[in-house]
Amino acid sequence: MNGSEIFGAWVAVFLTLGIFSYLYKDNPFYKIAEHVFVGVSAGYWMAMAFWTQVQPNLFGRLWPTPDGEISGFLMKSWYGIYNFFGFILPSVFPDGGIDKGHGHDPHFMYILPFALGIMMLLSVSSKLSWLARLGIAYTVGMAAGLRAYAFLNSNVLGQIKGSAVSFVDMPFFSLTGVSIFNNLIILVGTITGLLYFYFSKEHTGHFGKVTRVGIYFLMISFGASFGFAVMGRISLLIGRFTNLITYGGPTYHYASIWVLLIMIVLLAVWTFKGDKKVAS
Amino acid sequence: MEKFLDFIVRAGSLDRRYIFLVIALVVILPLFFPLGLPIRPTTSSQDVYNAVDKLEAGDKALISFEYGPSTKPEIHPMAVALLRHLFQKDVKVYITCLWPDGQFMAMEALEQVAVKQYKKTYGEDYVLLGYRPGAEAVIKGLVSNIRKVFTVDANGDFLDDIPMMVGVNQVADFDYLFSASAGYPGTVEWVQYAADPTGVTMSTGTTSIQVNEVMPYVQSGQIVGILGGMPGAAEYESLIGQAGIGTSGMDAQSVAHLVIVGFIIFGNISFFVERRRSKKY
Amino acid sequence: MFMKRQLPIAIAATIGFLTLFGWFVDEPVIKSFVDDDATQWFDILASFAMFLGALNLLKMQAIKIIKQQKGWQYAALAIVGFTFSFTAGFILLGSYNVEISQYDDPAKVATVLASEINLDEKSTENILIAMPEGDTYTIDTPYFTKKGADNVVEQINAAGGTANMRATEWGAHISTRGSLFNWMFRFIFTPLSATMFALLAFFVASASYRAFKIRNFEATLLLISGIIIMLGRVPIGGNISAWFILYIVVLALSAGVNTWFKNRTYTFAAVVGGLLAVTIAGFIMGWPVDQPAIFYLPVLQDWIYNNPNVAGARAIMIGIGLGIFATSIRYILGIEKSYIGE
Repeated sequence: MNGSEIFGAWVAVFLTLGIFSYLYKDNPFYKIAEHVFVGVSAGYWMAMAFWTQVQPNLFGRLWPTPDGEISGFLMKSWYGIYNFFGFILPSVFPDGGIDKGHGHDPHFMYILPFALGIMMLLSVSSKLSWLARLGIAYTVGMAAGLRAYAFLNSNVLGQIKGSAVSFVDMPFFSLTGVSIFNNLIILVGTITGLLYFYFSKEHTGHFGKVTRVGIYFLMISFGASFGFAVMGRISLLIGRFTNLITYGGPTYHYASIWVLLIMIVLLAVWTFKGDKKVAS
Repeated sequence: MEKFLDFIVRAGSLDRRYIFLVIALVVILPLFFPLGLPIRPTTSSQDVYNAVDKLEAGDKALISFEYGPSTKPEIHPMAVALLRHLFQKDVKVYITCLWPDGQFMAMEALEQVAVKQYKKTYGEDYVLLGYRPGAEAVIKGLVSNIRKVFTVDANGDFLDDIPMMVGVNQVADFDYLFSASAGYPGTVEWVQYAADPTGVTMSTGTTSIQVNEVMPYVQSGQIVGILGGMPGAAEYESLIGQAGIGTSGMDAQSVAHLVIVGFIIFGNISFFVERRRSKKY
Repeated sequence: MFMKRQLPIAIAATIGFLTLFGWFVDEPVIKSFVDDDATQWFDILASFAMFLGALNLLKMQAIKIIKQQKGWQYAALAIVGFTFSFTAGFILLGSYNVEISQYDDPAKVATVLASEINLDEKSTENILIAMPEGDTYTIDTPYFTKKGADNVVEQINAAGGTANMRATEWGAHISTRGSLFNWMFRFIFTPLSATMFALLAFFVASASYRAFKIRNFEATLLLISGIIIMLGRVPIGGNISAWFILYIVVLALSAGVNTWFKNRTYTFAAVVGGLLAVTIAGFIMGWPVDQPAIFYLPVLQDWIYNNPNVAGARAIMIGIGLGIFATSIRYILGIEKSYIGE
């Protein structure tokens, strides 16, 4: 176990217990952990987005490694710009071009998303923030086109197909397999559940009775979702505690135990001082 | 009797920090003192097991890792158990990742199962294609032409130099698809853009919270079986006969659930007693 | 005005139509744009949105510090955190590998290498000896600093080996296990994000106790379904006898009889009769844990999970699917303009 791993374990334990300390009450340890999380996440996602998308897929297409000598005024000027960027940021723009499997010819079309991206960043300035709308419009249009078909096909048509259940060649009731009763439950539940969301007609009379049945099915589904949500959260908690138990071992110099004790003592002092201030 | 009812009403508005303490204890204690409760697989986990069991030696399985460290306790155990099952059957495993963190998870799982346990050969028995950004674009690219999305694998080796990539050009060339997913992009995108259009048999493992979102696909047959969260992982481990992290967490999970149900029941008893009293007065 | 209002709507409409019809059109140029380039542009713009988020965060925290608002010290901490992750991602490579290609005496090189790879000298020597001719051995964990890696290289060279330092490529450093960025990911980002999620477990438990009250029939259905799923899906549910559940059902039905008829005799009869019937049936059947199957929690949970639960979830899914389709069409047709602030 090297020093950086052990130090890392102590940092991880401090941050974990700092977040958990919120369960006692909002306190400086929690605030420290929370603000560190905010800052580190922003930097982390920025680095991930840049090195996995922008550098390989945008710059890698605008300035791919050329095949042999560059010729022509346009190409020489284009790679001249690249060399200038490379002088300022050699890590992002290595010598000769960026080789990420996008061929050897620049994809000039990618100047558009680059420009749209820069415009998006300008929304920091209140005067030029309207430029960001162009990039956002592209994103919105793209997402709308992709999702419209995909959701209609899989979530609507696929599900309607799945609701077209069979009532032949099966027992009337079965707890574990297919049966007429089970298929009837699914069919009735799906239709009445959908009807509940039809608000163009008032839910009264016979229609009201049908939608009542629908809400019962929806409540059963929400109850199941609640059960699964509890299950998921408890599983994550088990994961964190397992981690803390590992870091509480002798390999990591009992990090969890020491940090917990120190935090309890400091929180007790902080609470006591706070109570004294309130009392006076 | 009155004193007892008084106690119930007062306990109904207990400071929530006592509840937090109880939850912490019921989760930690079983980790130190396991109960060894037997695990009973559900039909959805059995369906996944059966789908994998139908595969034969030499068949090709595409596994996609889309989870990160925050959901690792729920999904990593099922990914490890699935890899164990696949390698047991000498199925060829191809791994892709739609989440950047997924690549770390895949490397860890392969190190544990493929390298240390089953001593499989990289490039012949398994290949880590790696992470590519793009979500649906990546899936659509894999469906039409794998080499459009991946020119090299995660180690930087060209796909054409990898023996097990010969003849594998698109998703339809695979015999089985599994998505170990914690959110977007994940199971839903694989169903919409890959499984539905190509008809390749697909199963999935998701976090418990996502299960209900994906269940309609399972019931309609678009997905064959689902492993739901840590219990799903534990069930799969019991089906393949190799206990892992999923199994070891189940005792804590069981006791915690029982305690929470107890809280719900007690909270409602207190509510009813209080309501009866306020009606009386 | 055109640039600020009509142009964004025109862009959204054009790209929306192109992407939607790309699903149905077989023309290679359009298909290639829609399948490959259009989604790449989307991801590139999403990345720039991420940069924008980070810049806004810095702006807000900086304003807090400059104006010395309440809690400005914590804002400074947020900026320190950002600076650290930015440095690990863009300024310090933090990933320098040491590769050994040759050795004169494996035992001598092993004395240096052993402490670097946390193994005993004999095992380290065996690793070196097993190294095929012409191959290189790379120390698993890279070094954060160039100096650190160079020190080890010097020591190995002095021990009669041939080692050199190879810096990880920029870009690959974020996914290299053991790099500075990876250290930050494993010991700062991961514990924080995982713990934030795990914290909710406590609040769910607290809510279960204090807030989930049975005020009407719908709430009763929700809670009963939740309880059955919670107990049925974990091993402990398999150890709860079906007869225990049957007794609870008898008591619940008796409570229903009491509410409906408000007659003590009927209620008493229902309780005693029900309990007696269950007890006799139990004795006859020998109290099997999993029979009658419909009251055995794992089986009951499975039935609820696969039937009424799917019905409800499907209704919601179809509703959401229709809603997304309708909203997408509204964006494509330019009816919905909320993204430009209208």
